[in-house]
Amino acid sequence: MIKVNTGKFTLSLLTIALSLSLSACLQSEMQDAKVTINKNPYPSTYQALPQQTTIIKNATVLTGTGQRLDNTDVLMVDGKVKQIGTVITAENAIEIDGSGKWLTPGIIDVHSHLGVYPSPSVESHSDGNEMTSPNTSDVWAEHSVWPQDPGFQAARAGGITTLQILPGSANLFGGRGVTLRNVPSHTTQGMKFPEAPYGLKMACGENPKRVYGSKDIAPATRMGNVAGYRSAWADATEYKRAWDKYEADYALGKNPKAPSRNLTNDTLKGVLDGEILIHNHCYKAEEMAVMVDIGKEFNYHSGTFHHGIEAYKIADLLAANGNCVAMWPDWWGFKMEAFDMVQENVAIVDAMKNSCAIVHSDSSTTIQRLNQEAGKVMYRANENGFALKEQDAIRWITLNAAKALGIDSRTGSLEVGKNADVVLWNQNPFSVYAHAEQVFIDGAKVYDRFDEKYQAKSDFMLGQPTIEQSKEKQLKHSMPTTEQGE
Amino acid sequence: MRLFKQTLPVRALTLVLTLSGAFTSTLVNAQTTAITNATVYTATDKGILTNATVVIENGKITAINPPTISADIIVDAKGKILTPGFIGSMNQLGLVEVGAVSRTRDASDKKADITFDASLAFNPQSTVIPYSRKGGITRNVVTPRGGESMFKGHAFAVNLSASFNSVTDSETAVLLDLGSKSKGSRAYELQMLSHKLEDAAKKLTKLKNKSEDKGTKKKSEDEDKKDDEPKRDEIIINSLLAGEKPLLVYADRATDLLALIDLKKQFNLKLIIVGAADAELVSEQLAKENVSVILNALRNLPGSFDSLHTSLSSAANLTAAGVKVILSVNDTHNIYQLRFNAGNAIANGLSKKDALASITANVADSFALNTGRIAIGYDADLVLWSADPFELSSKVDKMWIIGEQVSTQSRQDALRHRYTTNSEMPRAYTK
Repeated sequence: MIKVNTGKFTLSLLTIALSLSLSACLQSEMQDAKVTINKNPYPSTYQALPQQTTIIKNATVLTGTGQRLDNTDVLMVDGKVKQIGTVITAENAIEIDGSGKWLTPGIIDVHSHLGVYPSPSVESHSDGNEMTSPNTSDVWAEHSVWPQDPGFQAARAGGITTLQILPGSANLFGGRGVTLRNVPSHTTQGMKFPEAPYGLKMACGENPKRVYGSKDIAPATRMGNVAGYRSAWADATEYKRAWDKYEADYALGKNPKAPSRNLTNDTLKGVLDGEILIHNHCYKAEEMAVMVDIGKEFNYHSGTFHHGIEAYKIADLLAANGNCVAMWPDWWGFKMEAFDMVQENVAIVDAMKNSCAIVHSDSSTTIQRLNQEAGKVMYRANENGFALKEQDAIRWITLNAAKALGIDSRTGSLEVGKNADVVLWNQNPFSVYAHAEQVFIDGAKVYDRFDEKYQAKSDFMLGQPTIEQSKEKQLKHSMPTTEQGE
Repeated sequence: MRLFKQTLPVRALTLVLTLSGAFTSTLVNAQTTAITNATVYTATDKGILTNATVVIENGKITAINPPTISADIIVDAKGKILTPGFIGSMNQLGLVEVGAVSRTRDASDKKADITFDASLAFNPQSTVIPYSRKGGITRNVVTPRGGESMFKGHAFAVNLSASFNSVTDSETAVLLDLGSKSKGSRAYELQMLSHKLEDAAKKLTKLKNKSEDKGTKKKSEDEDKKDDEPKRDEIIINSLLAGEKPLLVYADRATDLLALIDLKKQFNLKLIIVGAADAELVSEQLAKENVSVILNALRNLPGSFDSLHTSLSSAANLTAAGVKVILSVNDTHNIYQLRFNAGNAIANGLSKKDALASITANVADSFALNTGRIAIGYDADLVLWSADPFELSSKVDKMWIIGEQVSTQSRQDALRHRYTTNSEMPRAYTK
C-alpha cells in the first residue's frame, strides 16, 4: 500500500511540476476557483443538556491542577465554572450539599474503544480495526462508532465526561481517533467534542508486525515497522509540500493546479501541520525512543504514548520531549512487550519535571473505574517511597488527559471559566467503595446515582425483559407444577 | 506426593486431615507459629474475633485462642486483620507465562478432551505466582482452556508456595463449556451432555445388575469383561455421577442454567456454574439446588445476547437469594485483583462477611479444598493485612501458605528498584 502511494505520488508531483511551469508562463490568466479541503466535514452537533445554575457546597475539591480545597463551594453557571471558594450564593441556584463528599473534574479517558468495539460484542459490531493495510490513516473511528453502545452509559456512571475513541492497533497507522462528550445521542456527531483536535492512532511493536508479517506483507519485523512509518511520513511530507506550494502560488495570483487529493495523506499532513495529535500504541522503552526521533526526523511531535508499559525506563527522555504517556496500573503478561510492567509506572513517569502521566482504560470495564485505577497506582507508589496525594493522582485522569487530547484549555480541571465538567463522589474517589453520585457535563446533570431520571438507557437495552419480568413469568408458569407437588 | 494426593478417594474433611496432616509433617518443619493480637476474620460462623491468637503447626491451624501460648515464633499482629488466604479460580496460573508467547502456553490442546490433565504442565516457578501473592492469594483453582471438545479437561488446585509440589489436587472439577456458539447450536451440546450422563448411568445400572446376577449365572465371557471395563472418559463421567467431583460449567443464559439444574437433579451431580450472567433470573432454583456460581463482580455490560441481566449488584442479589457466590477475576496475570473485585461487590451491596466468604470459604467448599477458613484443622493459609483487605490502599503485611511464611516480592519489585535507584553506571549494573 505504501509503495502504491509512492507511485501515485510521483505521478501527481509530475503533474504539479507541469502545471506550475504552465502557470508561470501565463501569469495574466484568470485563477480557477481555489481548491480547499474541508477539514471538518462531519462537524459536531453536540449541545449541552439542559443546564441549571448549581452550587455544590462544602465539598472536598480536587481541582485537577494539583490542589485540594477542603470545605469548598463550586458554582456552575451557563455551563462554566463560575466561582470556587467558600460561602458562595447565587440566585435561583440548585444547592447540593457536598458535606463529606468529594468533587473532581469530569474524568477523561484518552483510550477507549466504546462504540467501535461495543457491547454486545457481536461480529456485526466489530468495527475498530481496519486490518486491510498497514497504513489506514484514511479511516476515521467516528465512522465506526455505534452511539448506542451501553458502555457509554456505564462509563458515565463512573464519572467519565470525555473520552477519545481510537481505532485498534493492528496497523502502523490505524486511522483517526475522535474525542467525544459522554452524552447520550443517536448520532456520533451529537457526541463530538466541539473543536477538539483529531488524533491519529499509530502502533508500535508486536501487533502490526504480527498481523501483516503473518500475511507475508510488510512489516514483519520491528525494523519493518519503522520503515513503514518513515516511508509514510516521507510521502506525506511531499504531499504537504505540494499543497503548501499550491497555496503559496495561488496566493501569489498564479493559477496552479491543485495536487490530487489523497485521504491517507490528508491525515498525515494534518499531523505535519500540527492540527492532528499523535496517539501512539507503544509499549517498549527502546521503541518509544525511536518514535520520538521519527517525530523529529519528519517535523511533527510524537504526541502521547499509549500503553507505555516500559515508560518508567525512559521517564526522563519522555518528559524532556514533552510526551504524554497513558498507562494502565497493572495490566501485563498478555504479550512479551507487556512483560516488564511495574505497578508504579505512572508514578515514576509523573515524578519527572514537565511530565504528563495519564491513567487510561482501553477497556469497557475499567473505564467505569478510572478513579480506582489511579488509586491503585498512588497507593502502590506510596508503599515504595513516593508521597503522592489525592490531588496529585486526580491529574492522571483529568488535566493530563485533557492535555493529551488538546482540550486542556476547556476541560480537565476545576478552574473559573472552564467547562463545568464535574463529578460529585460519595467519598474519597480513590477508595474501592467510592461511587460517582452526580455527573455534570457543561454544567448539565447527565447522571445521578439516586435519580432514575438521570440514568440514560441505550436503545439496545430498551424493552428487553427485566429480571423482575422474567421472574414473574417463571412464577406464573411454575405455579401449577408446584401445586401438583414433585 | 502429588500422585498420592491424586488418589485420595474421599474428600471427607476428616480423612484429608489425617492423611495430609501426617504427610506435611515430614515436609514442613515442626516449628510452631503463634499470631497474636489479631483481628481474625474467620470466614466461619464465629465471624470476627478480636485480640485473637492463631496457632500454626505442621502447616495446619492447630489452635485458636489457646489458654496459654507456647510457640517457636510469635508474631504480634498489633490488632491488624488476619484473613484466610484468598482463593483464585478460573485462570491459567502456571499454565501461561506470557499470553502471546506460544511456547509458554500449556492451557490448551486441540485434542484435549474430558481426560485432559493440564496439571502435568503446571509451572510453580512462573513469575505470575509471587505477583499474585500481592493480593493475598494463597491457593488457586487453575482451569485449562482445553480443545475442540466441549469438555475442557480437569480443573486443578494449587497453592502459591512456588514449590515443586504445589499442585494440591489434580482433579478438582470437570470443566465444560456451554452456551452460545459461533458455529452450530447450543442445543447439540446440551443434548450430548445429557446423553453422555444418561448412557453412563444406564451402563452403571446394567453393571450393577450384572454383578448381582453373578452369583447365579456362570462366569461371563472374555468379551463381556472387556465391555464392562470402563474407558478413561467413562471413569470421569462416573465420578461425576458418584458426586466425587463437581461439574464446572461455563454458561450464561437462563435457559442453559435451567437445563443444567435439571441435569443436576436428574443425575444428582455436584454443579458449579461459571459466568452465570443470567443467574439472577433463576436465583431461587440455584439456591434450592445448592448450585454455586462463579462470577466476576465487575461484569455489568451486555457482552452478548446471553448476558443481558448482569449487573454490579449481581453478587449481592444472588447472595441475598441464598446462592453460594464465588468471585473470580478472569485475568491470569492479575489474580491479585480478587480482593478489589470483592471490594467492588461490597460497594454494590454485598456484606463484608459475604464478600470474604466469596473469595475464601465458598470457593473451598465448592471445590472441596481444606483451606479458606480460620478454624482448627484447616491448612494454615493466612494473610495479615496492613488495613481493610478489600481496599485499594491496603497491602499484605505478612502471609503464610500451608504454615510457611512467604514473600510478596516479585520481578516487578526488582524492575522498579532498578529504575528508581540512582547510579552513574547503566541500569543493568543495579541488581
